[in-house]
Amino acid sequence: MSEALIQLKGVTKSYTRGKQSVPIFERLDMTIPQQDFVAIMGPSGSGKTTLLNLLGGIDKPTGGEIVFDAKRMDNLDESKLASFRAGNVGFIFQFYNLMPMLTAAQNVELPLLLTKLGPKARRERVNTALSIVGLSDRARHKPSELSGGQQQRVAIARAIVSDPKLLLCDEPTGDLDRETAGEILSMLQTLNRDLGKTIVMVTHDPEAARYAKRMLHLDKGHFSEKDLAA
Amino acid sequence: MGRTFTQIAAVTMMNLRSIPDRLWTSLSTVIAVAMVTAVLLGFLALANGFQSTVQGSGSPDVAVMLRKGSGSELNSNLTREQSLLVEEAPGLARGADGKALVSPELYVVVDGIKKSSRTKANLPLRGLGVRANQVRSGIKISAGRMFTPGTNELVVGRAVSRQFEGFELGRKIRLAAQNWTVVGEFEAAGSVFESEIWADVAVLQGLYQRGSSVQSVRARLDSPASLEKLKAYSEADPRLKLDVQAERSFYAEQGKGMSDIILYLGWPLAIAMSFGALAGALNTMYASVDARMREIATLRAIGFGGTPAFVGTMVESLLLSAIGGVVGALATYLLFDGISAATLGSNFTQVVFALKMTPQLVVQGVVLALVIGFVGGVFPAWRAARVPLLAAFKEQ
Amino acid sequence: MTLIELVRKNLFRKPLRTILTVFAIFIAFAIFGVLATFQNAMNAGIDTAGADRLIVTNKINFTLQMPIAYVQRTRGVEGVKIVTHADWFGGYYQDPRIFFAAIAVEPASYLDIYPEYLLPPAQRQAFISDRTALLAGETVAKQFGWKVGDRIPLKSNIFQQKNGSDAWDFTLVGIIKGETARVDTNFVIFQYEYFKETRSFGGDTIGWMIVKTQSPKDNANVMKAVDVMFANSPFETETQTEQAFAKAFLEQAGDLGFIISAVVGAAFATILLIVGNTMMLTVRERTNEIAVMKTIGFTSQRIFGLVIGESLLLTVIGGALGLLVAWLLSFALQNATGGAFGPMTFTPGIAIWSVVLMAMLGLLTGLIPALRAMRINVVTALGRK
Repeated sequence: MSEALIQLKGVTKSYTRGKQSVPIFERLDMTIPQQDFVAIMGPSGSGKTTLLNLLGGIDKPTGGEIVFDAKRMDNLDESKLASFRAGNVGFIFQFYNLMPMLTAAQNVELPLLLTKLGPKARRERVNTALSIVGLSDRARHKPSELSGGQQQRVAIARAIVSDPKLLLCDEPTGDLDRETAGEILSMLQTLNRDLGKTIVMVTHDPEAARYAKRMLHLDKGHFSEKDLAA
Repeated sequence: MGRTFTQIAAVTMMNLRSIPDRLWTSLSTVIAVAMVTAVLLGFLALANGFQSTVQGSGSPDVAVMLRKGSGSELNSNLTREQSLLVEEAPGLARGADGKALVSPELYVVVDGIKKSSRTKANLPLRGLGVRANQVRSGIKISAGRMFTPGTNELVVGRAVSRQFEGFELGRKIRLAAQNWTVVGEFEAAGSVFESEIWADVAVLQGLYQRGSSVQSVRARLDSPASLEKLKAYSEADPRLKLDVQAERSFYAEQGKGMSDIILYLGWPLAIAMSFGALAGALNTMYASVDARMREIATLRAIGFGGTPAFVGTMVESLLLSAIGGVVGALATYLLFDGISAATLGSNFTQVVFALKMTPQLVVQGVVLALVIGFVGGVFPAWRAARVPLLAAFKEQ
Repeated sequence: MTLIELVRKNLFRKPLRTILTVFAIFIAFAIFGVLATFQNAMNAGIDTAGADRLIVTNKINFTLQMPIAYVQRTRGVEGVKIVTHADWFGGYYQDPRIFFAAIAVEPASYLDIYPEYLLPPAQRQAFISDRTALLAGETVAKQFGWKVGDRIPLKSNIFQQKNGSDAWDFTLVGIIKGETARVDTNFVIFQYEYFKETRSFGGDTIGWMIVKTQSPKDNANVMKAVDVMFANSPFETETQTEQAFAKAFLEQAGDLGFIISAVVGAAFATILLIVGNTMMLTVRERTNEIAVMKTIGFTSQRIFGLVIGESLLLTVIGGALGLLVAWLLSFALQNATGGAFGPMTFTPGIAIWSVVLMAMLGLLTGLIPALRAMRINVVTALGRK
C-alpha cells in the first residue's frame, strides 16, 4: 500500500451530556492510505458519524493526533479548519443537502466561491464536474426539479469540484432505491479508481459496502477489519 | 353547529398556547402595533388638548367686538367713541349701578423667556377695562390679589407662571420697557386666558401711546340670544360696523386651524406607520401558520374542517394587535397625558395647553390596532384554512 | 455566480416575506424623508441666514415699531456696510387663509442686502423707480399665477388706507428667484414710501432693520453699538444675528424638532424590530443549510458576512425606494402647502443621512441573526452526533 493520507494516533473523543461525559473513542488508531476506498459499518451509536466528523475536520478530538497528508490537523483553529475542509475534503450526505434556491450548476459552484478562481475558470470546473457525474444537461435545473439520484449526483459534483483528495460519504445511498444506489456507488468507485480520490464511506448497507476496497467494522469505538477484495 | 364551535375553540386554544414558541416574533408584532397606536394617540392628544384649551375659552354670553376684517385682537383697532357707543347697545347685562358690563381692552405682545428652552417667546399682555371682572366669568384669583387700576401691577395666568421665567408672585419684572410687580395669579379653567398677562388698560394705553383707543371690546350679554340684537345695533350705526361674535365661536374658530394641522399630520403618519406594522404582523402570522403547517394538516386529516384553522389564526392575530393597541394607549397615557406644551396661537402669541387623552381617542387607537390585526391575520388565516392534507406526511 | 448573488438569491427565497419586510422599511424611510423635507422647510430661514446679517427689532417685542430715523443713525455705526428696513404688512391676496409674507421695504438697499434674491436688472430698476411696484417671490407668483405687468390688489389685516380702504393696488414688475431651492421665496415686497404715505396710522415708523456688517467678525461690536445707541430711548432695540432671530422665531411654534424625532424614532424602532425579527426567522429556518455551507468550508466570518449582507441588501432596497418616494413627495408637498411652511426641499443632506441610517439599520438588524448563524455548530445542526 502507498503512503498514508490520514492517520489517527491514539485519538480519544467524548461528549458531555449534561454533567456526564460519554466516551466514544478511547485511544483509537487508524491509517487510511492514499487512494483507499473504505466502507465503515457498525450499529448505530458505534461512532461512525463521529469518526467521519473527525476525519473531515468538522469536529475535534478530545485527545490524540490526526495527521492529514503528513500535517497535523487536530490542533488547527476554527478558520484554518474551514479552509482545510474547503481545500481537502468533499462531503456527500444522505439527504444531499443542496441549496434549494440555486441551480445544479450554482450548487456545484458554491465551494469555488471560496477560492481565488475567476468566473471563467469556475465555469470550466463546474462543467467538468457535472459531466463527470453525467448531469451536464441538468445544469440549469433547481434541486426540486431533479430526482433523488440526480440530486445526489449534483452533491457528488459539488464534493469533487475543488478537487479534494478525500471524499467523505455519510450513508450516500440511504435515501435511494437499489438501482439508483448502484449507479451512485459505481460512480464513487470510478472516482476512486480513475481520479484517485480517497473515499471513506459510512453505511449500514452491506450491499453498498461491497463497492469499497475494504470494510471496517466499528463497534463500541473499536475496529475489526474485513478486506472485501479478499 | 356545536361541533364546529368545539373545533374552533380547540384549535384557537392550540394557536394561543403556541404563542410562547414564537415569543420574539409575537412580541415584535405587539410592540410594532403599540408604536403605531402611540404615535397616533400622541398626535390626537396634542390636537385634542389644543382644541379643548382654545375652545373652552369662550363663553356664549360674552360678545367680542373687533374692527371689521381684522380677524384677531392683535390686528384690531377701535376708537374710544366706538367703545362708548357699545355701552349704549341693547341686550347687554348691566351692573348694580345700571351701567352696561363692557370691557374695552388692549392686546399687546411682550417677550417672555420659556423655562424649557430658555428662548424668547411672544406673550400676550392684555389691558382690562374696569368692569372686566364682571364681563368674564370663571376667572379665579388663585394666589395674591387683582391688580390695582392705575398702577404698574400685573396678574398672570397660571400657565404663564408655570412655563415662563420670572412671573412668581411678588416678583418685579421688566416688560414693555417698564417695571411691573406681579401681585396675583389667576386660573381660568384651563383656557387660553391662563396664557395671558393682565394689567390695567389705561396704564397700557399710556405706555403704548395709544391715547384712548383700544383693540377689542368685550360685553356681557343678558342672554346668548341677545347677540343678534347687538349685531343689528352695530350694523345700523355707520360709526360702528364692527365684527361682533360670541366669544365661544370666536375661539372655536381659532382652535380649529391649529388642531386641523396637527390632525392632518398625525393621521397620515399613523396610517403610513400602520402599513409598516402590518407588514410585520403578516410576517409573524405567516410564520405562525408555517410553523404549525403539519399540526394543521394532521387536524384536517383526522376530520377537522378548515374554519377552525381560519378562526384560530384570526384570533391569534387580533389578540396580539389588541394587546399592542392597549399597550400603546397605556404608554401614551402615562407618557403624554397632561404634559404641557406651548405653541403660537392665532394672535401670534403663545398658547399653553396640556396634551389630553380621552376614552374616545383610546377607542380610535385600539380600532386602528385591530384593523392592523385583522388585515394581518386574514391572509395567513386563509392560507391556514387551505393547508394541503399532504403537509402532514411531508418530511420537514 | 458571486457571493453577492448568493446573498441576493437567499433574500428572495421567500418573496412574500421579503416584499413585506422591504415594504415596512420603505415606509420608515419615506416617513423619514418627508419629515426631513418638512424640517428643512421650517429651518430654511436659519440655514440660509447670512453670516454677516443682523436683525434689529424693538426690544419690547419684534412686532412693535421704531422710528425711521434709526436707519440713518445705524448707517453711521462703525463696521456697518448696508442698512435697510422693513414693515410687516399683514397682506393677503383674495383669500386670507393663503399665507405669504408681504413686506414694505426701502427698495434698493433691501435688494442689495439679500444677494440670494435673483432678479433681472431691468426688473430691479422698475421696482426702484415705480412707486406702486410690487416684486413677488417665485413661490407666490406661481401660487396665484401672476405675470409681470399684472395689477395686484393686496389687502391688509392690520392697516387701512387713509381713504378707509383696506386694499392697496400694485403693479407686478418682477419675480424674484432664490439663489438655491432652499431660499424662501414665499413673499412679496413693495415700496415703503408708497405704504407710509397712504396708511392711516403708523406715521414715520418702521418694523425692523436689517444690517449687513463689513464682515462677520464685526457682528458682536455692531450689535452692541446699535443697542447702546438706542438705550434709554422710548424705542430701545435688540440686535441679533439673522440666524439667532430665525431660530428664536421658529422655536415660538413649539418643539417641532422633538415631535419629528419622536415620530422618526418610533418608525425606526418599529422597523428595527420587524426586520431583525424577519432575519432571525430566516436564519433559524436555514440552520441546516448554514451548517452544510460550513462543512463545505465557509468560515464563520464569511457566514456572518452573508447574513449581514442580506440584511443590508434588504434595508438598502427598502430605503432607496422610500427615499425615491420622499423625493417625489417633496414636490407634491411644496405644491400642496404653497410654501406656507417654507420651501420643501429634498437636500443631498437627507440622502446622506438616509444612507447612514440604511447602513446602521442593516448592521443592527443583521447583527444578532448573523452572530447566531456564525455560532451554528455543524455537528449538532446536522444531527451528526
